[in-house]
Amino acid sequence: MSLTSAIRDRDVAQLPSRRDEDWRWTDLRGLIRILPQPSPPFAGDPGAGVFDPLATQVVTLANGRGEAVIYVPAGETAWVALRILSQGDGAHAARVSITLADGARLHLFETYEGEGGYVAQTSLALTLGEGAGVERIVLAADSAGGVSISQAEVTLSPKSEFAQTVLTCGGRRQRIETRVAHPGGHASLRLDGVYLLADKAHADLTTVVTHAGVDGLTEQLTKGVVRDQARGVFQGRIVVREGADRTDAKMGHHALILSDRAEVDAKPELEIYADDVACAHGNTVGALDEDAMFYARQRGMPEADARALLTEAFVGQVIDRIDHNEARDLVRGWAAERLRP
Amino acid sequence: MAAVTQTVEQVAGLEKYKHGFVTDIEQDFAPKGLNADIVRFISAKKNEPEWMLAWRLDAFERWLAMDEPDWAKVNFPKIDYQDSYYYAAPKEKVGINSLDEVDPDILETYKKLGIPLREQEVLAGVIGSPRYAVDAVFDSVSVVTTFKKELAQVGVIFCSMSEAIREHPELVRKYLGTVVPVSDNYFACLNAAVFSDGSFVYVPPGVRCPMELSTYFRINAENSGQFERTLIIADKGAYVSYLEGCTAPMRDENQLHAAVVELITLDDAEIKYSTVQNWYPGDPETGKGGIYNFVTKRADCRGDRSKVSWTQVETGSAITWKYPSCVLRGEGSSGEFYSIAITNGRQQADTGTKMIHLGANTRSRIIAKGISAGRSSNTYRGLVSAHPKAKGARNFTQCDSLLIGKQCAAHTVPYIEARNGQAKFEHEATTTRLSEDQLFYVMQRGLSQEEAVQLLVNGFVKDVLQELPMEFAVEAQKLVAISLEGSVG
Repeated sequence: MSLTSAIRDRDVAQLPSRRDEDWRWTDLRGLIRILPQPSPPFAGDPGAGVFDPLATQVVTLANGRGEAVIYVPAGETAWVALRILSQGDGAHAARVSITLADGARLHLFETYEGEGGYVAQTSLALTLGEGAGVERIVLAADSAGGVSISQAEVTLSPKSEFAQTVLTCGGRRQRIETRVAHPGGHASLRLDGVYLLADKAHADLTTVVTHAGVDGLTEQLTKGVVRDQARGVFQGRIVVREGADRTDAKMGHHALILSDRAEVDAKPELEIYADDVACAHGNTVGALDEDAMFYARQRGMPEADARALLTEAFVGQVIDRIDHNEARDLVRGWAAERLRP
Repeated sequence: MAAVTQTVEQVAGLEKYKHGFVTDIEQDFAPKGLNADIVRFISAKKNEPEWMLAWRLDAFERWLAMDEPDWAKVNFPKIDYQDSYYYAAPKEKVGINSLDEVDPDILETYKKLGIPLREQEVLAGVIGSPRYAVDAVFDSVSVVTTFKKELAQVGVIFCSMSEAIREHPELVRKYLGTVVPVSDNYFACLNAAVFSDGSFVYVPPGVRCPMELSTYFRINAENSGQFERTLIIADKGAYVSYLEGCTAPMRDENQLHAAVVELITLDDAEIKYSTVQNWYPGDPETGKGGIYNFVTKRADCRGDRSKVSWTQVETGSAITWKYPSCVLRGEGSSGEFYSIAITNGRQQADTGTKMIHLGANTRSRIIAKGISAGRSSNTYRGLVSAHPKAKGARNFTQCDSLLIGKQCAAHTVPYIEARNGQAKFEHEATTTRLSEDQLFYVMQRGLSQEEAVQLLVNGFVKDVLQELPMEFAVEAQKLVAISLEGSVG
């Protein structure tokens, strides 16, 4: 039941389906009748990426091809733009391996860019040494016909810091999954997400954080805006293993549904086997606040502008948490573009 | 403060599980095991009409084709469905007309459990004290139902399920299995095939049931399972409050309890359903014995502006698998779920609710408090969903978990599905341990650690206790204390 082997063997029976609890809202078996042929090599010039100006190194993976082994030596800082490109109607899988030695720092600017009706899978492995720090910013702009599943396995070390902000506008089926092995030991984790969906887009932000040691910190905030017939999915699970005392974990998911036919599904889960913990989650789903809309409109703002302003402010709370200044501005612009109809 | 003193006294004078005794009476058993003949045997024992037998056999057929669910966060050895008695009843003395003819041992049992079966005993209390009618279910049969006459005067039908099938077949046929279909799930399907008794309530239009109705379930026989089925119908504008209590003897083997409860409310009707579940939880050290409590409870708010409120205090059972739900079909209907689930020793509970919003302007509210102590595991699992037509649906959910001790576990698994733009769902959950500061504060006022924990826990579950009918609230509060006994220190 792994997507990689399903693509390799062209075997739809290995695709996850509604019957798999973790995939009940992102059914692949019901969607993909036949797995397409392997994708041919990427044709043409992909042009420059949005994050290229901020990076010292650009790594491109096109239709599953290309080397992506990134290593940051102890004490050094790297700015890497990682571009994952998909083109055409084939199937492909890509692998990325990122390792940070003790005390190293990495700004990872990751983009998913696609056109066509592809089936793509990306596996990322990120390993952080002691005291290492990563800020991962993901902009996922898959094509409306594309199926894209990105799965990241993050392994933290004591005193390391991992901060992630994912922004997506979905795909035909899209899932961005992050699994974090959290050793505690004053390591800190921030997992944020924003989904902005329109038409028939589907996006699934899934996270699993496993706290295995004492003194771990996790903060999560995901916000979504869905309109038309789009569907947003958020699944967050925080596991606190036996003995992982003094874990402090917070999870928030808030979504706005702006049309009658859109859908939001959420499952904020806590699985706790230790008693000295403070864990909380909050979840809200609803329409735009009518009072705020009224206020904006009686100040003379046209309805569309008022709506855009309020939704931008809504997701802005997540974007504000990005550390990297230029990246934050860039991301804010990217979001604003997708919020204005 | 009075309630706390009472709690403390109660705890001091108690064994760990006070309902663990066995009543030694002559009983009728069906042969051990489960097959179509057993289903026929049960049906024949109950003098059921042909349609009922056909219904049961159909359920049995379907059950054979189903798989036992394994998605809940509970662990137990595979159940051998052939190693149990599916029917156990006290030997009947032909044609019981009054309470005096009921086996005195049974009366004694209920007296020991504190359940008043004699109407005059209920009346003997202080004038104006609340009264409640009881249906007493002993293993597979209902032994007595009190206050039937008085209830009949206002048109309320309150009787055992077997009697309802005989006396009111039109009502039973109209509603039975319409909320929980025969093949809804594995355990509900098993229940449909072999259910032996339960309570039936029908409240006619516009009637406010004059007293609390209650059913007291007692498992007594060894190696037997209890499968009761309860059906409550509140017709237009009716109101009824119903209480359910359950206990079982202490035994080393596990016993299965697979019940089905169906509630139906028509326009403007309201049902308040409260449960104090105190099945034998098994040995706290070894985890041996205890009841497997696999229950399907569902309410169908069919009528506009109808309302169902579930309140449950779950303290017993080795394993609990139970999700009282509301299908909010009628426009403006509302559902409530208030729950306290306490696990201690080696208990495992996976419980919660489903609020399915189908109609416009439907509202629901969920307050769930889970407490785990010892080496137990406590899971809240819930679903709130709004369908495209449920414009203006609103839900508020709060689930809090409290952990006492290093080896227990608490999980929260809420599912939220919003399928229209005018639904508004709010959910919040917390998991913490008892606050050291609060404990310190209470203890420096002179309370022992155990007393302090009880006081704080009672505060933690206060929101839910307030929803219980008064006579249950006191009992529940004591139960909370007893369940946590031995969890500190």
